[in-house]
Amino acid sequence: MATRSVCQVFQRRFASAAASLRASPAEIRSQRNAIFSREQARQRALYPRIEKIEVSMHGPGLDGTLLIMNKGMSTPLSCARHLTEYHVKNSTLALVDGEPWPLHQPLTQSCSLTLLTFKDNDPTLVNQAYWRSCAALLGQVMETAFKDEYTVELLSTPEVPVISGAFCCDVVLDPQLDSWTPSEESLRSLTRGAQKLIHQDQAWEPLEVVPSVALEVFSHSRCKQEEVEQKASQSPKGTVMLYRCGDHVLLSGGPLVARTGLCSQYEVTALHNLGQGSWGLHRRVQGLSLPLQLQAHHTVWRKLRQRAEKLVDAPVPEAVAAAPEVTNPPDSTQPPTSQ
Amino acid sequence: MRLTLQMLISHGRVARRMGLGPESRINMLRNILTGLVRHERIETTLARADEVRFYAEKLVDYAKKGDTDEKAMKMASFWLTEKDLVPKLFKVLAPRFEPHSHSYTRMVRIPNRQNLDRAKMAVLEYKGNPFPSLYPVRKENDLTLINQLLKGYREERAQQFAAKL
Repeated sequence: MATRSVCQVFQRRFASAAASLRASPAEIRSQRNAIFSREQARQRALYPRIEKIEVSMHGPGLDGTLLIMNKGMSTPLSCARHLTEYHVKNSTLALVDGEPWPLHQPLTQSCSLTLLTFKDNDPTLVNQAYWRSCAALLGQVMETAFKDEYTVELLSTPEVPVISGAFCCDVVLDPQLDSWTPSEESLRSLTRGAQKLIHQDQAWEPLEVVPSVALEVFSHSRCKQEEVEQKASQSPKGTVMLYRCGDHVLLSGGPLVARTGLCSQYEVTALHNLGQGSWGLHRRVQGLSLPLQLQAHHTVWRKLRQRAEKLVDAPVPEAVAAAPEVTNPPDSTQPPTSQ
Repeated sequence: MRLTLQMLISHGRVARRMGLGPESRINMLRNILTGLVRHERIETTLARADEVRFYAEKLVDYAKKGDTDEKAMKMASFWLTEKDLVPKLFKVLAPRFEPHSHSYTRMVRIPNRQNLDRAKMAVLEYKGNPFPSLYPVRKENDLTLINQLLKGYREERAQQFAAKL
């Protein structure tokens, strides 16, 4: 017993010493931000001369519209700004030559463009992107919610279908927090954090980078680096997509929606323990959200919320308890949307 | 306003008084009804549309008897001032409303007339016409985010229910 407590004390000392050696979360964040900005500036400087491209719009009431835009500078959102306010506010994702394209990513050649909304005839792609974005937002909230002395490690986000009822985000909290079980108040405070971000209405800025830059961005996190390598090996172009929302840089398996302000109802519903994994105690945070355009009555919302508290299972069996090697289960399910 | 026919008759007002007299009223309604049979959707004042509606339905009832029926033919040739519409009544409208026993027409109020007077206006149409619907068509999309969530919820409830049994 005595040895055990001594061990615990020692471990805690050791952990805190290690934490003090490590950079503080604010520093990590600013460093990631700086690298992201640098890379973004470099990519923008690739087009020093303004060249024009022709973008033909498709969609209800838009067929035959031809826009002359700037190469490497105009985004689908700037095309939407040439149309109506409706298009600016409601479009969540763009379809460039049939491929999903984040709304803030500059167009590089003449193409055909379709703006997707939540109320399209087939919004499957948008729903999936929205679910992914909500999970990304949840990760951002989790990373900033704790005090600076606790480290939070975001694992790769499992891709869950919308029909499973909740989006989720896997995290590993500081070893000191292993015995912590969140109360209703703490979930509510996480919800508050998410709603603050939604209120700020920040854009998810995409950036396609080569793995070496991504590795530099995530130089503080071993598991993120492995995820980067895996994603890079799977993508046909050998690049990975980084997104920045506010000052949070994240790695995504597919396109995200345009901005956080598209969410309206948002709630963090549960935090489940997944057991010991290769990085520590894995936890799964779950949430439920609905966009501004499709809000639910509170009775319906309550029912959906109750369902969202149950643990969702990722489509591929979890590698947490079974395999000691780090694997990224969701990746195999992503190829149709990740490019 | 007409509540029921019985109500109307019991109060001594069988019909609205319009035009220059009973005969003028009938002639006016004949013209409107002819227009309705020709175009299948017309726009008139609310009072006229409401009056014509009764005769329009009655005319289809007669037309359902077939063009060999003497009374039906008499009615058709009286109410349709343009005789080329008589075959249309028997060949198009009567078969269309064969499965229905009543309410062949639809009347919808539209904004008051602005240019002449502020008369109440209405649209009168035979059902099943080829024009776009008067009301916006409600879009049911099972694939939207909230419908997908609700679908998942329903499936889970059904599973739980089945497990309980």
